[in-house]
Amino acid sequence: MSAPLVLLRGAGEPSPAAGHTLLSRRVRVVPLESPAPAAAPESILRAIEQLGLPTFSLLASGSMSGTALRVAVTAPERIDAIVLETPTAIDEEPAMRELATPTLLLYGTRDPATPAVGRRLAGILPNAHLVFVYDAGATIAADRPEAFAEVAGDFLERHEAFVISRSTTVIHP
Amino acid sequence: MKVSFFETVRYVSPQPLPSEWPAPSGAYDPAAGSAAYRGMLERLEYVEELGFDWVSVSEHHYSPRILTPSPIVTAAFIAARLRRITIALLGPIVPHSNPVRVAEELAMLDTLTQGRLVVGLLRGTANEALTYDLNPQEARERTDEGMELILKAWTEPRPFGWQGRHFQYRMVSIWPRPLQQPHPPTYALGTSRESCEFAARHRLGCGVSYGPFEVMAKATRYYREACARHGWTPKPEQIVYRANMLVADTDDEAHALLKAQPNRAPFEMRKGVRDAVSALDARNIAGEARTAVVTGALPTTFIGSPDTVVEQVRRCREVVGAGVLDLSLHPPGSNEVEPLMRALELFGRKVLPRIRDL
Repeated sequence: MSAPLVLLRGAGEPSPAAGHTLLSRRVRVVPLESPAPAAAPESILRAIEQLGLPTFSLLASGSMSGTALRVAVTAPERIDAIVLETPTAIDEEPAMRELATPTLLLYGTRDPATPAVGRRLAGILPNAHLVFVYDAGATIAADRPEAFAEVAGDFLERHEAFVISRSTTVIHP
Repeated sequence: MKVSFFETVRYVSPQPLPSEWPAPSGAYDPAAGSAAYRGMLERLEYVEELGFDWVSVSEHHYSPRILTPSPIVTAAFIAARLRRITIALLGPIVPHSNPVRVAEELAMLDTLTQGRLVVGLLRGTANEALTYDLNPQEARERTDEGMELILKAWTEPRPFGWQGRHFQYRMVSIWPRPLQQPHPPTYALGTSRESCEFAARHRLGCGVSYGPFEVMAKATRYYREACARHGWTPKPEQIVYRANMLVADTDDEAHALLKAQPNRAPFEMRKGVRDAVSALDARNIAGEARTAVVTGALPTTFIGSPDTVVEQVRRCREVVGAGVLDLSLHPPGSNEVEPLMRALELFGRKVLPRIRDL
């Protein structure tokens, strides 16, 4: 069973996309609006504690990904897994190189601008997994909802073991 | 102008074969097959000696017409025997392949050949969907996605997962990578708008085949316009035109040979199958619909004496814009190897030296 998923959103970000709604069928999704991308990790952690979530996973998009990683390095013991959708412009912190938390980095193949950040992040975070979502732009959960929910849900449930296929090729038993 | 020899492996059947595709496997004669592959090698040594730039191989199944169901095996074998010529793998049929496997094998081949590889990626003829039980309606989408995955596998430095529509991998990280960086010269083969768009978006070459110059020019014009929209201009050698060429000592002789050709479709399917496949597998030339199945013989767009053919090549260069000609030189209507060798010699002596600088 996956830990509850805190969907970390920036102030004024659009409502959750179709992919987030689909994901909520597999895991409890708790949206949390952060006052600013630069909000202190401690205040975000306090807010999550007040929601009654001692351990949780984190989902963030774009520039909120940096916030999510700062939260994770502040309290790694509370974080089960991290999913970052199109992470951009991360300020690297030395603690990130020690972060053992399984982290999924998602990029759309129609988004040419950002994979360089993803490659760098994949090199920094010791337990990161880079996945390209075919035919999605930067807003993966909106562009390919089913594909997004499947890979994010599988990762939240199985962490790095999500690389082992569970699909069957049996056609007729 | 670069010139490529399209090698189909001439299989000379000791018995008459039915024209319907697929040809019955039981009618295959192992000795004739062995002779065909030996003949291929001898011929290609001659092709290299004549100074062709490329030898091309393709993928077709269940038929004696083109005896290379695995073009990668063919290419590896040829490459080991020839020293200079570029091996053009035109190409793996992407929709029924494992794209990661294709990326690996081509990277290996590029390295084994010391960078003598060029690659064409394509959807395949309509009958090929039947070969490995592929839904024809999904062929286009699988081709586009598979091609993109092949390019990604060649170029992405980090291990990655692929969350596709038709392909899913959680872990891809190929070894070796191609010798030619970022990857071997690659063409999206086909006249469709989708294929041209894909080529333009990924800065690939474009390959068209068999149709008359003016018709193929619609596709290559569309391709160049699409490239311009993406902010780049393709080089002449990024447009390949594959065609039949029938060269003889005189125009009359060439036309008489063409007349003797049976008007037979390359991969003739049973009518009910042919019609059903056509209905499912939409095709187009730069957006204009065309039928998925060729019902007669493929056109011979270069025909005549060496002088005439040289003029036609000049026109092709102007109209289609192709910088590479991929030629099927086999005289139509003949299963014998000897006429092909004669055509090859005539072309090599009287045409090839004159079209180099076009």
